[in-house]
This record gives sequence, structure tokens and C-alpha cells, in this order.
Amino acid sequence: MKFVDEFRDAELGGALAREILSTVEPGRHYKIMEVCGGHTHSIYKYGVDDLLPANVELVHGPGCPVCVIPMGRVDDGIAIAHEPGVIFTCFGDMLRVPGADGTLMDAKAQGADVRMVYSPLDALRIARENPGREVVFFAIGFETTAPSTALTLKRAKAEGIANFTCMCNHVTIVPPLRALLDSPDLRLDGFIGPGHVATIVGARPFQFIPADYGRPVVISGFEPVDLLQSVQMILRQLRESRCEVENQYSRVVPHEGNVRALEVMAEVFALRPHFEWRGLGFISQSALRVSDAYADFDAEVRYSVPGVRVADPKACQCGEVLKGVIKPWECKVFGSACTPEHAIGTCMVSPEGACAAYYNYGRFAREREVV
Amino acid sequence: MSEALPACIADFDGCITCGDHAVELRVVSVDEARGLAVCADQFGASIEVDVLLVAPVDPGDRLLVHAGTAIAREPAERRGPASDRGAGPPAEVTP
Repeated sequence: MKFVDEFRDAELGGALAREILSTVEPGRHYKIMEVCGGHTHSIYKYGVDDLLPANVELVHGPGCPVCVIPMGRVDDGIAIAHEPGVIFTCFGDMLRVPGADGTLMDAKAQGADVRMVYSPLDALRIARENPGREVVFFAIGFETTAPSTALTLKRAKAEGIANFTCMCNHVTIVPPLRALLDSPDLRLDGFIGPGHVATIVGARPFQFIPADYGRPVVISGFEPVDLLQSVQMILRQLRESRCEVENQYSRVVPHEGNVRALEVMAEVFALRPHFEWRGLGFISQSALRVSDAYADFDAEVRYSVPGVRVADPKACQCGEVLKGVIKPWECKVFGSACTPEHAIGTCMVSPEGACAAYYNYGRFAREREVV
Repeated sequence: MSEALPACIADFDGCITCGDHAVELRVVSVDEARGLAVCADQFGASIEVDVLLVAPVDPGDRLLVHAGTAIAREPAERRGPASDRGAGPPAEVTP
């Protein structure tokens, strides 16, 4: 499967840029949101926005799971990490995400046994190797990652690994999109849909965007040519007064998604009635918890979780960045008090975050522009 | 990599774990009974991958892997005979 090679072809990219230029209507300003943090990362990394006309603006959406987790959930995780005998496992990004009183990395420095893993399977292996310890996996991610956690919990149950639990922070993509579309301070012309979430859920869940809100959606791959082609497909829909879900990433995304993944998620998880999103507030049915059938593997059942609620730092404007209301560089602390080394906001912690992606790749081009 | 080193550094090629990012890997060997496969990336680094969502898989198959789980497999119509899958360029795809 060619996921990569020809989708970085400079000639193809140039041809698409010219097509985009010929498709836009002069005098009209287009705002297109890329939902996924992976797209944001690619746009800055490859300078995709530099190939677009000035009147085509890319708005960075809430699709970085690390960026949308509220500080209180980090504090809850840190509280569990400090429980005696616990080995607390999480992905690398989460180690540096600030809670109200430090990060998981700080907790590790204070003596908690916090370990970075690359997959839930790694966490389960640690549990097998340490039968006298309790191993907690801090699960985070959209529908792309949730099946991996679900399969791991099924394995834990099948193998009878009783010292393994999961603190579930998985979120779903559709409710925040609906919340964004209902937001009065946002005007968008179309959406670049999240390619790997769609690999799991398929194209159908995005039908409500054209049906209820009259905006086109193009599910996109992650290479520069993918993104340029997706922008061109959205602009073409707008020009032809069409409004539908199109699948640019058909080499990976089947229309019906991954049915086995959806089945295992339905077995292992249940929808939470509501969940807090950084910058977006509480959103109904926007996150998953461990289902009752797997309650023995639910860290929030096994441990007393404080359920901390923490307001975001006042200086940080992650909320506005996540809603696409402001650009990263328009935040008061961007690049000064808030950098990847000393992040105040979560958008600067993860490379999928709009602030970190822009800081790492985009700021030099902007400096040239300003000069 | 040391467990103390954060995965997310400035030149890291995206977040392969918790972001909506996945990597292409080639199946090296399959443990059908456990639903696992050893897969390698283009540089030869190998990891154990859960393949239950895309099974059955064979050595040489290319998988899209996210957080240690294969979420997509090369479509059958793009796969050549099994003997062709170990090496060489994949089939043409027109973007």
C-alpha cells in the first residue's frame, strides 16, 4: 500500500496548487478547518499553507487528544500515580501535560513510578511482568486509538490479568464538531475530515455536517498532496454549490470503517453522559468510559479519583486556538512564556497541537513574511 | 529509548501514539493463535503489533499501525502474489 511516496511529489503538489488558484473566486475569503492534529502537523511541516492563495485560510481544529484533555483529568491521573504500589503508564505526550500542580513527569521525579509506553499492549506486558504491582494505563485518544485500548482490555480479561486497569479518557470526534458548528463566533466554509478516525468509524458519521449545517467535508490523508487535493475538492464543491462528504483518503478509509473495531469498542466501552473538553467546556456524550462488563479493569472504579476541576491558566488561550477563533501566534504567551520546553497550554505540549506545530515549523516563514 | 525521555520532541515525526497519526509497517512473522504479528518499518526496526482488527495477515503484508494496533491493511486488489510481497515497489496509486 502506498501510504506515502507519491503523495509527497512536488510536481503533483504544484499542479494542485495551480488548480486551487483557478478554483477560488476572487474577493471571497475561505475558512477551512482541519479537524485533526495530524493534519495540522503536516500542514506546518510541509508548508502546505504557503502553497494556498491568501484568501484560503486553514483553521486548526480540536483534533489533538492531548490538547483537549482538561487539567483536572491530569491531576486525577497524578493522584492515581501516587497510590502505593502503582505503576502508572501513559503515552509520551502525556508526561509533560501540566495539571494544576505539575505534570506526570514531576510526579515521577517525586517518586511515583510513571512509565512511558508506546501502546496499551506495552502496559499489559508490564502488568504480566509485575504481578505484585498494580499497573494503570492512562488511555487517551480519539476513535483511532480507542480500539487498541479495547483490544488490550479484552486480552487482560481473557488472560485473567487482575493487576491491570485503565483510566479511560478516550473521546469521540462528532460531538465536538457539532459543538463547534453551533458556536456563534465561528464561520467555516468546509472541513478536512480526520483520515485515521474515519478508518475506524467510516464516512457515515460525518454526513450530519453537510446535511444539518450545509458544509462540505473531505476525509483526507496526511501527506502534502493529500491535503492539497482535499482543499481543492472542498473548493470545487463550494464552486459547484455541492455539499457532501467526499473521501480523498479512499486508499485507506473504507466507507463503512473497520467493523471489527467498532464491535470491540461497543463491547468494552460505554458513552459518558458528558465530558469536559479544554476550551470547549462540557460536551454531551463526547467521551468513553470502561463498560460495566469490564468494570474490574476500570481504574476509576478501583481507585478513589478526586474528580478535580481546574480552570485553565488565564494567560493561556488554548480554548480560542482549539476553536479556531485565533491563530497560535495571536495568543499572548505564544513563543515567549509558552514554548515546547516550558508549555503553559496543552496545544504547545503535543506535536499534534497547533501551537507546537506552528512553533516548530511555521514561525520562521511568518518571521520572513513580517520582515 | 529511555522511558524518561519524552516522546514528543521538536523534530519527532508527529505523535504515533495518541495523535491521529499512524505508520506503515510490513509484517515479518505472524502468531495467529495470539492475534499478534512482528512488523518492521522501512528502517528495519521491529515491534509487536495486534492484528486482530485486520486478520488474517501474512508475512509481507503492509499494515497501517496506530498505537500498536493495525487499523488497516493493504487492499487485496493492490496486493500481488504472496511471493512478490517481500520486496520491491508497491502497485501504482494515482492520487
